Amino acid sequence: MSTPSSKSPSDLQRLGGIFTKVLLGIAIVLFGLEFFIHRHGVVSAEESFMFPALYGFLAFLFIVQIGKWLRLMIMRKEDYYD
Amino acid sequence: MISHMPPGLIMILAVFLLPFIPHVWRQIYMLGAIALSAYGLFLGAGTHLVWTVLGLDLILYQADALSLPFAIIFHLAAALNVIYSWHDRDWQQHCASLSYAGAAIAALHAGDLVSLFVWWEATAVTSVFLILASGTERARKAAMRYLLFQVTSGVLLLAGAAILASTSGDILFTKMDLGDAATWLIFIAFGIKAAFPFLNGWLQDAYPEATPTGTVALSAFTTKLAIYALARGFPGTDILIWIGAAMTALPVFFAVIENDLRRVLAFSLNNQLGFMVVAVGIGTELALNGAVAHAFVHIIYKALLFMSMGAVLHQVGTIKASELGGLYKKMPFTMVCCIIGAMSISAFPLFSGFVAKSLTMSALGDTGIVWAYFVLLFASAGVLEHSGIKIPYFAFFAHDSKIETGEAPIGMRVAMGIAAFLCVGIGVFPSLLYSILPYAVDYHPYDAGHVTSQMQLLIFAMLAFVVLVRLKLYPPEIPSVVLNSDWFYRRLAPMVGLPLLRMVMLVWASTLHQMRGLVNAIWDLLDRIMHSPLAGPTVSGRAVLIQAGLLSLLLLVAYAAAG
Repeated sequence: MSTPSSKSPSDLQRLGGIFTKVLLGIAIVLFGLEFFIHRHGVVSAEESFMFPALYGFLAFLFIVQIGKWLRLMIMRKEDYYD
Repeated sequence: MISHMPPGLIMILAVFLLPFIPHVWRQIYMLGAIALSAYGLFLGAGTHLVWTVLGLDLILYQADALSLPFAIIFHLAAALNVIYSWHDRDWQQHCASLSYAGAAIAALHAGDLVSLFVWWEATAVTSVFLILASGTERARKAAMRYLLFQVTSGVLLLAGAAILASTSGDILFTKMDLGDAATWLIFIAFGIKAAFPFLNGWLQDAYPEATPTGTVALSAFTTKLAIYALARGFPGTDILIWIGAAMTALPVFFAVIENDLRRVLAFSLNNQLGFMVVAVGIGTELALNGAVAHAFVHIIYKALLFMSMGAVLHQVGTIKASELGGLYKKMPFTMVCCIIGAMSISAFPLFSGFVAKSLTMSALGDTGIVWAYFVLLFASAGVLEHSGIKIPYFAFFAHDSKIETGEAPIGMRVAMGIAAFLCVGIGVFPSLLYSILPYAVDYHPYDAGHVTSQMQLLIFAMLAFVVLVRLKLYPPEIPSVVLNSDWFYRRLAPMVGLPLLRMVMLVWASTLHQMRGLVNAIWDLLDRIMHSPLAGPTVSGRAVLIQAGLLSLLLLVAYAAAG
């Protein structure tokens, strides 16, 4: 079975660009909505301006950073258990 | 007659004919068995079959509002698995997966702990063949470790049940309070199958070693059976909130650095179980509804994610992130299904995860346990990281791996399509799901504040990912093994145990040697006495010497007796 040739890296880069723009677009809309919609929170801090956005952003960075450090401790070669 | 059989049993019985049915009819036959089993659910709530053995009332078929949603989704998962494995001619695997699903369904309807134990162990011994079916030495070893844990869980359950039977004479499977040895044993038995922290190694160890179709079946039943058991046996047990919160947070970090994408999903499964365990620990009606709803939708989207990765593995022959990438043009349908599964597990509004997870988060918010609420919120960002982004990104995008392949067999695609449809359908029409939950639901997930909160969390977490990728700070995938709690028994135990064993053997061998020396010395002494003169050159003979000794002894005894 012949399949079309592999996509070029530029295809992936273009997709990445579109993805980023869409994300930014939604982020701007969410920023705008923050002025009109009252969010309920378990604690008052959760109701502060763009709190979930900040929490999500920082949590993601934290997870990746801890993951990087964790690699130094618990990552081994593929044949470690063999 | 069939309707009074415990649901699931008909599926196990059907397995005995399965090897004799030609491949073209086998899947239809299996779907028929699943349909017959599901037909039994129409009997409704109540106790329908009791069997008295050795004075014990074994409740083989009991149904209620808690067992029903699990029974529905278990049947659905079993059917999806049959469709997904339509291309597979390996009848042994079909036998294993059908009997495994049947055992899990039968376990849901066990009304006493002994019946539960029987089905509990049956899920272990049937499912292990799905791992063995991979046919590799690596899989065989993982299967043995898996079996060890599963059987241990069963033994603990039986021990707990035996203690309860001997102390109270009551083996009914109802709500228990943690306190005595029996309930702790049962709790730990459930905890092993629910993959509590440090008891979870078997999950990430074994599931990714199963066949592409086998992992889909494995992902559905064992762990969710444990969630059901916890929900029935230990609702409102505070310690579960701590355990569940740890389960949501810890696997997140492991999933970030894991290279095997099916193992990433196994870590993700563990994280999702954490949400359910927390909900069971809260124990309110809203929370238990949350646990059941989460288990229900989780089975579908987790199966969808495992199916999409199984399709990639089936087509490409590897599932390592470091070797994949750029498959979005070669497997577009699989890619779309995978993204739907990823959006569902990440709890995007309009997808199934959102309408289920919201129940648990709201219930947790109501309790005022703020720390746990924020841990789960953090874990939600973690889910997005490993299942929402990492899985589709590294398989279908990331970089061009130059892999030439096509879409998976039609059966795989149909199963993925149905699961994807359900993910969206439940997300858009949550009332369908809410109508089968154990308690009446007056909950509306789609209020503006709730939706924007969730969207903010997810979209800005995704922006963090974009920033990291663009700044080349996102860690690249590296061929590697990530140590997990299985390290304790796969490496630490041998590392500590082997030298200890060697030392014991050394001491034993040395003791034996010393004893042998002592024995030899005694024999040598005797030998010398027998063959060497004791005094002077004339030897009266050893026999005379011994006789003289004996006569002297006799004389002394006679004197003592006379005196």
